[in-house]
Amino acid sequence: MTVRDTIVAQFEQVAVEQRRKLARLSDETRLLDSGLDSLSFALIVARLEDALGVDPFDTTDDVKFPTTFGDFVKLYEKRRG
Amino acid sequence: MNSPSSIQQAGTATVQADMSRETVEVDIGPSFPIYFDSDGHTLFGWFQGPPADSLADVGLVICKPFGYEAICAHHSLRAFADAAAALGVPSLRVDYRGTGDSAPIDLGADQLEVWRRDVLAAASELRRRTGVRQVCLFGVRLGALLATLAAADCGEPTPLILIAPVVSGRRYVRDLRTTRLAARMGKDSQEPPEAGPGSMEVSGFTLSAATLAALAQVDLKTHAAPATSAVLLMDGKNMPGAAAWAQQLSDLGVRTTYSALPGLIEMIMAPPQSATVPLQMVAAFETWLRDLVSAVPARPNAGYTHARPAASELMTLRSDGFAHRDPLTERPVFFGPDSAVFGIVTEPRPGELRRRAVIMLNAGADLHVGVNGMNVTLARQWASRGYVVLRMDLAGLGDSRKRVGQADNEVFPETALDDIRAAMQLLRDRYAVADVTLFGLCSGAYHALRAAAAGLAANRILMVNPQNYFWKAGMRLDDLQVAEVVRNPVVYRQRLTSWAAWKRLMSGKVDIARIAKIYMARPLLALTSMLRDAARWSGVRLRYDLGRELEEIDARGVKIVFVFARDEPGIDLLGIEAGSSLRRLGERCRVRIIDDADHVFSQSGPRAALQDILTEELFARSTAISFAPLPNKVEKELLG
Repeated sequence: MTVRDTIVAQFEQVAVEQRRKLARLSDETRLLDSGLDSLSFALIVARLEDALGVDPFDTTDDVKFPTTFGDFVKLYEKRRG
Repeated sequence: MNSPSSIQQAGTATVQADMSRETVEVDIGPSFPIYFDSDGHTLFGWFQGPPADSLADVGLVICKPFGYEAICAHHSLRAFADAAAALGVPSLRVDYRGTGDSAPIDLGADQLEVWRRDVLAAASELRRRTGVRQVCLFGVRLGALLATLAAADCGEPTPLILIAPVVSGRRYVRDLRTTRLAARMGKDSQEPPEAGPGSMEVSGFTLSAATLAALAQVDLKTHAAPATSAVLLMDGKNMPGAAAWAQQLSDLGVRTTYSALPGLIEMIMAPPQSATVPLQMVAAFETWLRDLVSAVPARPNAGYTHARPAASELMTLRSDGFAHRDPLTERPVFFGPDSAVFGIVTEPRPGELRRRAVIMLNAGADLHVGVNGMNVTLARQWASRGYVVLRMDLAGLGDSRKRVGQADNEVFPETALDDIRAAMQLLRDRYAVADVTLFGLCSGAYHALRAAAAGLAANRILMVNPQNYFWKAGMRLDDLQVAEVVRNPVVYRQRLTSWAAWKRLMSGKVDIARIAKIYMARPLLALTSMLRDAARWSGVRLRYDLGRELEEIDARGVKIVFVFARDEPGIDLLGIEAGSSLRRLGERCRVRIIDDADHVFSQSGPRAALQDILTEELFARSTAISFAPLPNKVEKELLG
């Protein structure tokens, strides 16, 4: 399973659990328009740490949350090397 | 009509429970709010007793999670309490200091330590009221951590029921930071200021610097085994955050039952209107608790008679910032048909002659404390300036019982007007109130508007972020909302020039039917608005005519105030649905806009601005005070 596939699966899982309507995910999808909220993203990040072994937001650097789904995936791909 | 004597009464109740997907009648015994002391501060709690003559010798203290999770989980925690009562186990659900309806907390306090002591105080109170010998601590998320930490000081091995406990404080704080980071997504402005130095506000709830420091030191896996005789530990399915700790406990000889079950996210992270009770967790809870009860020999119900609420049950607010004057008091009330509706009245100081009141309505399915606990803060502020303030739960929401046949967490119940009418009657009967303000956010704003439109005797309606002005029976929350029709075409129009958007369109990744539906609805809405204006002008009375309703409300002398966060779709919707009436009403229908706010004012800066505006509008004399005009853009859009 690729990083992208893992991330897509988590987005879908969280949307179901939170009874939210998930937008179709593409690189251009703005996370604000994805149908998920900040709690959902926190949950996704926590689960991705378990699944992928990285948390790109666990840093003392000034990190911003990505604005598109593509940027979100790239962030994880980069951290996974 | 409700007589004053119905206040404070809470008797044995029969509720409909849906534990096994069948609706069954369950006798759950007495259910009522109490106040009790913790280190000299008053805490609010909710007592749920078992049916008469079936008291076990085990009691349950229910420790809530923190912040938004507590709001979402409220409905489920009631279900756990009902399940315990059916087994003969009385329970006490506690609002820690500075949360819910309890007394305020010092902003710099170490909440972890204060709340741990609050759990201990609740255990003592439950023993005192019921005479049970064994107390079991039941907690969810941060509440589970508090229960575990408190068990060490219970004086005897204490059974624990823990749902998705916070095992590592560091990881918990990190998750909260991610939530906060995600909430700032797409915003270029600076980080919002915190409530105190080093503190952190998440979804409108603050943890102090001392709390964050204390949490960073907590890791249950490195602690000694908790002082417990047995543990039921339930994680969410696919979220085995406590599995390793459970194994560790078992290795240390603690009788540990562990399972990962579905329903956690739906209980603590789904918005209250769509949150659901985790049925499998409730079933596991019942099985485990039944075993615990059967292991503790029953004995005569020596102390149970003390469980009835005292007629004088109320809270004195010692720290409301006016120490030199008489303190404010808060009083729980039940009213309405069958006394099903619950609320808390914050009373002004004795001797207050102005007979003015505010009724606060639920926002969505959030309980009466309001989003981010804002209703509690405002109620105490306004009461300190002379208002009687009632924060209430419509029947079926928060701590009010639902009526027979009513769905869970119904945000727009047909009986809402009856409940509001009963609240007004209560305030007139008990406090001789002559001036009533209705205040609500989101669906609460809708209900305030509907009450005024129906001719209920309100003097003022303060409506924050309404997203709809009409609700037709049979509609569902996830139906296509008019608000979506208002907002989305702007987004789609912006994307017409985007190559990426066209690529997605060509590759079939866009839901064309949905966009078309939204686009077609927009002109229809505009046309309807023009027709309504024309009908109003020619004296034809139409259903669902917001403009006419607002003019009629105004004609009865009711002050109308809308407050919106800048990006709320309700602003445009107001312009469309009220049409030319807004121009005619002018300053008599006030619209105030707040920048950088979200729908529920989850950041302290915009929330403070909202509180200032509401207070300004509440205390303004309707004709003598002039206010800042609307921002030009909004004024132009709304008033044409």
